[in-house]
Amino acid sequence: MSKLKDIINSRWRQILLFLSVMGPGIITANVDNDAGGITTYSVAGAHFGFSLLWSFIPTIVVLIVIQEMASRMAVVTGKGLADLIREEFGVKVTFYSMFVLVLANIGNVMAEFAGIAASADLFGINRPVLIIACAFFVWWLVVKGNYKSVEKVFLGACVFYVSYIISGFITKPDWALISAETLRPQFHFKGVYLVMLVGIIGTTIAPWMQFYQQASVVEKGIKLKEYAYHRLDIIIGAFVVNIVAFFIVVVCADTLFKHGVRIETAKDAALALKPLAGEYCYLLFAFGLFNASLFAASILPLSTAYSVCEGMGWELGVNKSFKEAPQFYSLYTGIIIFGAAFILIPKIPLVKIMLFSQVANGVLLPFILILMLRLINNKRLMGDFVNSKVYNFIAWLTVVIMILLSLFLLFFALRPNFMN
Amino acid sequence: MVLSYPKTDSMFIFFSELQGVRVTDKENNAIGIFYDMIIEPIGKYARSKALIVESGSWRKSYASVEWARVSEVTENGIRLDLSGSGLNFSAVLNHKSELSLRQDILDQQVVDTNNQNVIRVNDIHLLLADRDLVVAHVDIGLKGIVRRLGFEAFIDPVVKLFNKNSDYIYKPRLISWKHIQPLSINPVSMTVKVDVSSKQLLDIPAADLSEIMLDLSPKHRLALFKTLDITTKSQIFSLLDVKEQKSLLEDIGQNESVEILNHLPTDEAVDFLGELPKAAVHNVLGLMESKNAKMLSTLLGYAGESAGGLMTTEYIAVSETATIEETLRIIKEKTLKAETIQNIYIVDQENHLKGSTVLRRLIIADPLDSVMKAALKKTVSIHVTDEVKKIALLMDKYKIYTIPVVDTLGVLAGIITIDDIFSRLVTIAWRRTRKKKQL
Repeated sequence: MSKLKDIINSRWRQILLFLSVMGPGIITANVDNDAGGITTYSVAGAHFGFSLLWSFIPTIVVLIVIQEMASRMAVVTGKGLADLIREEFGVKVTFYSMFVLVLANIGNVMAEFAGIAASADLFGINRPVLIIACAFFVWWLVVKGNYKSVEKVFLGACVFYVSYIISGFITKPDWALISAETLRPQFHFKGVYLVMLVGIIGTTIAPWMQFYQQASVVEKGIKLKEYAYHRLDIIIGAFVVNIVAFFIVVVCADTLFKHGVRIETAKDAALALKPLAGEYCYLLFAFGLFNASLFAASILPLSTAYSVCEGMGWELGVNKSFKEAPQFYSLYTGIIIFGAAFILIPKIPLVKIMLFSQVANGVLLPFILILMLRLINNKRLMGDFVNSKVYNFIAWLTVVIMILLSLFLLFFALRPNFMN
Repeated sequence: MVLSYPKTDSMFIFFSELQGVRVTDKENNAIGIFYDMIIEPIGKYARSKALIVESGSWRKSYASVEWARVSEVTENGIRLDLSGSGLNFSAVLNHKSELSLRQDILDQQVVDTNNQNVIRVNDIHLLLADRDLVVAHVDIGLKGIVRRLGFEAFIDPVVKLFNKNSDYIYKPRLISWKHIQPLSINPVSMTVKVDVSSKQLLDIPAADLSEIMLDLSPKHRLALFKTLDITTKSQIFSLLDVKEQKSLLEDIGQNESVEILNHLPTDEAVDFLGELPKAAVHNVLGLMESKNAKMLSTLLGYAGESAGGLMTTEYIAVSETATIEETLRIIKEKTLKAETIQNIYIVDQENHLKGSTVLRRLIIADPLDSVMKAALKKTVSIHVTDEVKKIALLMDKYKIYTIPVVDTLGVLAGIITIDDIFSRLVTIAWRRTRKKKQL
């Protein structure tokens, strides 16, 4: 079939090829901008103005490095990350990492439903009604749909992130100042500033992403020869997600920071924007939050159920019936119900829940990254596709930095008094 | 082969219980711990062939010992009948071509040929007979996971407390080794590690086998596919949808692709080629046997959903001058290749369709009579450009399973069998119900 390749040389053909493998990278990256992410970016902009903008450049690099490794493993081995962990490191490692993953992701799902609850308030919709409707929608989407249609819905959801970029232009910020600040890394050795910096990078790279990314590349059946196109998918994804985050910071910095408004949540940000940036900006922000929360809430339970069943060797897949794959559906449904029900409790401390999910993520991330690096440098699995020396250096450096940041975040999350 | 070990000396032990037990040499010096075991097949079972000993706590190294030198195996330790100094420890394990329990079976996916599904191995159940270990079962249940986690001593009493007859305790999910098909491949070179006999797999109908394959990772799928014979391969190939077919052919390489296409019934080959771009079709046909290629290129000239596109050229036709005896001989000769032997078509020298007959009539007829004497009163045929609906209506009206296809001159071009029409009708019906649902 190598002769088939001869036909594939026109530009158009290349674009088509890219479109056919597009999805996993862009979707995974965009899910990072979930309720927790938007909160972090809003607060970062409101409290520190443009002074944290530079951090998006290293974040893009880190994101690409890590996502690329997950995808390379998927393409070369044809297996998911949980699969590989189980096969190479055995039951114990798998069980404990899955256990923490489930905990972390339940926290994440709660945070997403909290985001939905917040946007319900912003739109003046009854909270329980919107939460239950969304929980049901999320469940129905995956159980009754198939991966292809679900992927299209997800890619569609990515488009709505544009709402943040539009709101960035509505406020008419000082672009010269912004570009200068973006290219000038600065460091303030103040606890709050550092926590915020950690938060920005930490919220962009979460443990579940590696599982989701690798699984969806395997599911899509991307081949080695299409890999160059898929890498483009990852790079575009990393840029898009950071550009969106960049604009959130810009909007909040240009309005809230200028007027010295202090906020705690994404909802505060939207509310504070109303008098400062106008009705449209407020609505765009509120809609963006809703879209991001719903989007992430659709992917997280599925990704968790998938990884756990894969690792433990249980039947899985949305094309199986409940009887064939009971653990898969129980986990999937359970996480959605649990996540949504918790948020329905009146006066639940939403900020604390988000903090909890960040802690669980922070504990798990170093382990997952180290396992990933050990897998990708395993010659028996990866053959010639192990990391090159230079790449390995960058990857280990990234991992070490991520581990330090996670530990740092963990430290401050457990001692919130330090912030004040 | 029958295992003839005295029952009294034998006991079952799990692989997880052996992991980490002490290995001592003949002077009773500790030389390391049990790490892995190489197995060799004996009939339907597999027996220990070599022991892999692990040594060192930080920088680990491994040594392989032939099982013949193992003198004693208990839950508490393994003894060798050689001295530890003679062992060659190295940092890398090198048993690329042999099957090892830890690397190829434990925690890996294997095919259960009895229940026809893909399973993950949680533990391995070994029969300890004298000092040999025989692989008896693989454990795929929750109990295996609990045992590996070291929670058995805690969980089992708790379960018993709540449910005395719990399936968890009393119905461990053990699958006999004779039903296990390992999928051990070298993921990089894509070579199947051991030439595992795939006899068990061949007992599974192709339709089920192709479903098993869909549960596997792409690499395992390919490895499994490669172990099959060409007939099964082409059967499975024809069951896949076009996207999977393309992907499979790209993976297996040109030679094997052409071989499969050569073995495919013409109607299936046409279905597949019809989905490829023109230039690619040209390429593929150029590589195929010229006889097949010629036929296929003619068939490809017809529209996909017309009689010409659906028909196969693997029918049995006899000359109108043939006798019954000759006809039966021709049927015997062609029976392997033909799509059906129920219907036999009678043609003249230019292959014009003159009539048809059925096997039943031939069997009861006088062998010396002309075949025309056994011909049916009326032979319904359709034109190469006729569409699925018309074909289906005619087949239904005359209650026939096979219908001949002729061109404008009345020359027999091929036949269409009920299964081709049926799958088309199912597709159409399914599309309709789905459309309704969406509304």
